[in-house]
Amino acid sequence: MKFTEKVTNWARIKSPWILHFNTGACNACDIEIIAALTPRYDLERFGVQLKGTPRHADVLICSGPVTKQVKSRLRRIYEQMPEPKFVVAVGTCSCSGGVFDGCYSVESGVDKVIPVAAYIPGCPASPKAIIDGVVKLLVSLEEKEEREKR
Amino acid sequence: MHKVVIPIGPQHPALKEPESFRVTLQGERIMAFSARLGYNHRGIEKACEERTYTQDVYLAERVCGICSHAHSTCFVQAVEEIAALAVPKRALYIRTLVGELERIHSHLLWLGVAGHEVGFDTLLMYTWRDREIVMDILASLTGNRVNYGINTIGGVRRDITPEQAKYVLAGINKLEERTKYYIQVAKEEVTLIQRLSGVGMLSHEAAIKLGAVGPTARASGVDRDTRRDDPYAAYGELDFKVVTDDHNDVYGRTLVRMGELMESYKMIRQALKKMPDGPITVKAPRKIPAGEAVSRYEAPRGEDVHYVKSNGTERPERVKMRAPTLANMQTVATMLKDRNLADLPIVIAAIDPCFSCTDRLTLVKDLSTRERKVMKWEELHSYSMGWYNAKGIEFSELNKKLKRLMAGRR
Amino acid sequence: MTAEETIVSGFQDKFANLAGKIRVARQRRIFIEGVDHLNFSEVFDYAVREPGFSILLTITGLDEGQTLGFIYHMARPDGIILNIKTSVPKERPVLKTVCRTFPGAENYEREVADLLGAVIEGLPEGKRYPLPDDWPAGQYPLRKDWKPETKDEKETQ
Repeated sequence: MKFTEKVTNWARIKSPWILHFNTGACNACDIEIIAALTPRYDLERFGVQLKGTPRHADVLICSGPVTKQVKSRLRRIYEQMPEPKFVVAVGTCSCSGGVFDGCYSVESGVDKVIPVAAYIPGCPASPKAIIDGVVKLLVSLEEKEEREKR
Repeated sequence: MHKVVIPIGPQHPALKEPESFRVTLQGERIMAFSARLGYNHRGIEKACEERTYTQDVYLAERVCGICSHAHSTCFVQAVEEIAALAVPKRALYIRTLVGELERIHSHLLWLGVAGHEVGFDTLLMYTWRDREIVMDILASLTGNRVNYGINTIGGVRRDITPEQAKYVLAGINKLEERTKYYIQVAKEEVTLIQRLSGVGMLSHEAAIKLGAVGPTARASGVDRDTRRDDPYAAYGELDFKVVTDDHNDVYGRTLVRMGELMESYKMIRQALKKMPDGPITVKAPRKIPAGEAVSRYEAPRGEDVHYVKSNGTERPERVKMRAPTLANMQTVATMLKDRNLADLPIVIAAIDPCFSCTDRLTLVKDLSTRERKVMKWEELHSYSMGWYNAKGIEFSELNKKLKRLMAGRR
Repeated sequence: MTAEETIVSGFQDKFANLAGKIRVARQRRIFIEGVDHLNFSEVFDYAVREPGFSILLTITGLDEGQTLGFIYHMARPDGIILNIKTSVPKERPVLKTVCRTFPGAENYEREVADLLGAVIEGLPEGKRYPLPDDWPAGQYPLRKDWKPETKDEKETQ
């Protein structure tokens, strides 16, 4: 199966450590992110580990439309991550604000605050979509690396 | 040692990050606790006024992703009351069915989170695996794992077939068997009882005075449940027990939630049996006549209250939503007073707060050492585990035991 | 007499000026309209003491144009909800706190203060809720004439 091949491929190459940050989400995406780490979907078998601090993370997974309360903290966390770092926006809210677009208390999207490398839509994004999105990001980075080598 | 209160200004000079919790310690004992809420403030009530009632159903659903059906049902109930709509009985039963399924997924989620907060990670893995059964059922009934979109003003959007009903029953039977096992563990395992007993004490009187709701209140012997006291949807026709307990602590809250799981399984079976045939929706006007209504719903975390005022247009004049966690947050300071810092994670987790667990920062100031530091939730979690490990309470044995026993039951 | 009717006649006996203002919307729902804010505390305390509305569900604030309205949603263990409404002029939107009876009211009162500009007398010291610390003064999002653009304009001035 193409999907499993792709996944095991990059798992050999990279074992990304992720930091999860909720920027004011309703929790649906957060629960699906955590569900992606539980036995049925089991991101951990691909070497993905959930870390507690930005200083150890490769990938920042964000959920939520970025409330104004949380904006500066999001930026700070991003700055604390070592290079190379990538941001994944999980869920329609972090992609564009979702149903909260236009509300006075939100920025409407993670890319209004920090650069985003991958967008995973869905309300919420299902664990399968999350895994797919993270894999796509890493495959594209790998391909970029290959191109740059040439 | 006398107590000194150190005021900390709204903007701490060294830390640009707003802390969610502030804890004042004397050594290891918590002297004061306060929570700074508002991180999830998205301006939903204002947004409701700017959108139509139908759009607001979807907005209400996203107040909280874990009890989304609670909020959307609470909202449509208020609107339907104002518009004097006769919602078909079958729709009420379907709402009840989805509501109880949501309660199951929420309580299993909570069991896992509570397990994680004390170091019983095997419980997390097993309960979240069981929870997938419910997620599959919900996805098959409504089309989504979370944020079901089943409600509309005037009824529900999807019907349930006899095959789906059979599928639901099969899943419930499996879950009931597993839950019985978790209850057994909770009642018999000394380590778990030791870890959770006497932690997060909230007396019966304090629970009432501070306005606690849901399992948090019921674990302090407060016999209140909106499903029985102010029936809505199909609850008036179902036979169920309100589970209370008088441990007044986190252990009690655990027992109450597990008891509620067992009641939910019973209610689902009744609902499927009693569900009448008929339409699933009644036509609702786009412009809702002027009026107002107060609607309540017993969400997994406690009572949810919505107030809707209409003005004859297709947009509401005012929508007020009071989620259960706001009521329960008031009780945490009391629960933590004179307790150890190590108890903070599980006490907060035990009210089943409806904000994300991963980004909370706690500012801890120690009066005896004059030290001030900001701790991430992970650090508090590690501190808590370390503190209890040093006292001989840790879960490596129980983790192994649960794995062995679950393996045997397959 | 039903429980609702008993409650209503209790209020009518005690407060002559509430005549015609009490409405039983349906089973378990009673509304008391237009209580003068000057004798609101009396009505509120009576509701807690006599018919036993021992639960404060929440406080809803509304922008009524010239006035700010407040609905105190109270409940009893038997499921009946009593909604007491009062209004204060916008130029002087002052209300007394009910925290002494209901410590849990703090967050509800802070919310109407933050979002509508109510001034709650007697509220204990504490952080604002729910708006962020750097929210500009005098900006009340739930007021009808408030638009997000107004805030942005004011910020750039």
